Amino acid sequence: MNSFWTVVGFTLKNKFRGKAFLITTIIIAVIMTIGINLPYIFSLFSNGDKVTHIGYIQSTQAEQAQGSATGDQLKAFFAAQEKPGVNLVPFEDKGSEAENEKQLKQAIADKEINGYLQFGKMTENGFPEMTYKSEKLMAFELTSSIQSGLQVIRQAAVLQDAGLSDAQMALLNAPIKIDTVQISATEGAGNVGEGKTPEQQAMNMGLVYFIVVLLFMAIMITGQLIASEITAEKSSRVMELLITSVSPLKQMFGKIAGMFLVGIIQISIYVLVMIINVNLPHNDKLLGEWNINFSDIDPALLLYSVLFYLTGYFLFATLFAAVGSIVSRTEDLGQAVLPITMISMAGFYISIFSISSPDSMLVKVTSFIPFFSPYVMLLRLGLTDPPVWEVLTSIGILLVTIYLAVWISAKIYRTGVLMYGKRPSFKELRKAMRAYKI
Amino acid sequence: MNPLKVENVFKQYGDKTAVNGISLEVGEGEIYGLLGANGAGKTTTMRMVLGLIYPDEGKILYHGKSYSSGQLRNLGYLPEERGLYPKVRVSDQLIYLAQLRGMSKKDAERSLKQWLDRFEVPEYYNKKVEELSKGNQQKIQFIAGVIHSPKIVILDEAFSGLDPVNVELLKSTVKELRDAGTSILFSTHRMEHVEELCRNITILHRSNVVLKGNLKEIKKQFPKERVILSTETEVSGLDNLTGVTGVTRHEYGYEIGIANESAGGEILRHAMGQSTITRFEIKEPTLNEIFIKTVGDSHE
Repeated sequence: MNSFWTVVGFTLKNKFRGKAFLITTIIIAVIMTIGINLPYIFSLFSNGDKVTHIGYIQSTQAEQAQGSATGDQLKAFFAAQEKPGVNLVPFEDKGSEAENEKQLKQAIADKEINGYLQFGKMTENGFPEMTYKSEKLMAFELTSSIQSGLQVIRQAAVLQDAGLSDAQMALLNAPIKIDTVQISATEGAGNVGEGKTPEQQAMNMGLVYFIVVLLFMAIMITGQLIASEITAEKSSRVMELLITSVSPLKQMFGKIAGMFLVGIIQISIYVLVMIINVNLPHNDKLLGEWNINFSDIDPALLLYSVLFYLTGYFLFATLFAAVGSIVSRTEDLGQAVLPITMISMAGFYISIFSISSPDSMLVKVTSFIPFFSPYVMLLRLGLTDPPVWEVLTSIGILLVTIYLAVWISAKIYRTGVLMYGKRPSFKELRKAMRAYKI
Repeated sequence: MNPLKVENVFKQYGDKTAVNGISLEVGEGEIYGLLGANGAGKTTTMRMVLGLIYPDEGKILYHGKSYSSGQLRNLGYLPEERGLYPKVRVSDQLIYLAQLRGMSKKDAERSLKQWLDRFEVPEYYNKKVEELSKGNQQKIQFIAGVIHSPKIVILDEAFSGLDPVNVELLKSTVKELRDAGTSILFSTHRMEHVEELCRNITILHRSNVVLKGNLKEIKKQFPKERVILSTETEVSGLDNLTGVTGVTRHEYGYEIGIANESAGGEILRHAMGQSTITRFEIKEPTLNEIFIKTVGDSHE
């Protein structure tokens, strides 16, 4: 046991001392910091309230009267809003259409307005033809807010004549809301409470996303590191010394545990960076707007997350170690770990792409397949409510697979570290195992 | 009881026999030579002694006990293919290796410092291995094998790739270890090192033991077949003497092959009649010759 911890310690020490680790950690931490603060940084550059100024011609001429009236109504409507995104600016009629257009274009050039509305013939919908002209491409957001403004204006105009009371008017305008609560019809494993409110669902979904991405990253990065370190030990021939100093099993699991700690420490650093950034005073308001509340996370789900993270990591790490041990040169490693990488990626993508359909048959089936279940069962737990026995079965299958993987990996490792030269085929490996009496 | 005893060990890889019944004993304070061409079974034998692979038949005893992981701390190993972590400091990795073999960190540090002083390179303590020259990396590698003061040391091609000065340095260190009572299993291609260091040897050829025993006695079994003759002036007619198988001229004089030792006297009398003799020697066969003879013969 003692030498196991010596291996763990050495692995940790070397990683932390290496410049690569330090640099990647710092770079990712900086990127995260920038990413989290991006909304705030953007808000610094945009000058406060974003109001689009729209010009229109206020004319007394008969054929222009309708348009002018519509412009005035819109101006009044937006001005009455709490946070007006649009401000209409009336311009004097210069007499001719060409002169007016010239005047409005000049106003755009002078940054007085962002664009202008031109009114045409009266139409059946109660408003004249309208054209919005600006230098911007596809101002859909703006036109839709003008449209909804006009809707309200028209509705008000029509209803005014119907003689409705203010209360009736308010009723008509009140928005309709539907709340969703996820409940469990049977004895579910996913939650302890009786149902999940939308906020809780969102938090759980966030947690599932977070853990799935984290697990995927841990497997891809740490797993590859484990494999490449073992191969490096083999190709630099330190392996010869190591296997004569400590049993291969202790060495292998010491390395896996050491890298696990490295990964956990790295993740903790990132989480810490995230928490610090999120809690900066200027980011406080933004989070409040998103309704993020960490107490909405289901504790049972958190527990399952940790469990699946650990088992998933361990299963893949042992396989990576085994593959690393049979490769003699670092150049050959990428190809050798490809199958494991593919399996991990498959599980990851099944989980991520099924986030909108966590009930599909694909998800149900793959949540029992050991290499996918850490990703997929977690998804089911977070987003639906699978029966307890299904979850326990999935974990059971996973544990048995881990036991087998450890057993096989240990055998491959013991054999692999002694074999040099070209990457052995499976047959050669089995032959060697028999010859070495492993 | 001898520290290391290999008894009639067989090892087979598939249908290929790697080691076919080797027995040897290394006494305390003895350097035992294990010789053989490439692929003769030396590495397999050493790996079995190191407990990396298990023999199919036969026994390997360490101080009378069979292998257990506890034996690892009594074993030191200098592999043929040298290797250390290139980017890790000398102190870090050697203390790590010593700790893996059960040394405390403090003892390991002290031992490492002593060894670095012994090799007169104390400044390497904090250097990375990749910063050192090849010869100095070998020194560090050697220290890695013996830092934990093992009772049994296995040296595979200990002096390969070293310049003459460093060969002498390591050779004297190996002798010191021997004099301190360490049992050393020594494998090399360099016969002159074996002649200088080993008391007993085993020559392996294609998995089989072809020659085994005390080096002096082995040499006695082989006839003396060479005469070295140096004279002040030229000597003619040497080839015509009975028992002479061949004459080679060198700068220092003649190297004469003889069929039997009595031909030596004949040569001496013949040369004395013609010139003044400055050197006359009937040479023992070198181990190199013995090796080529035993291994080369069975090569046909």
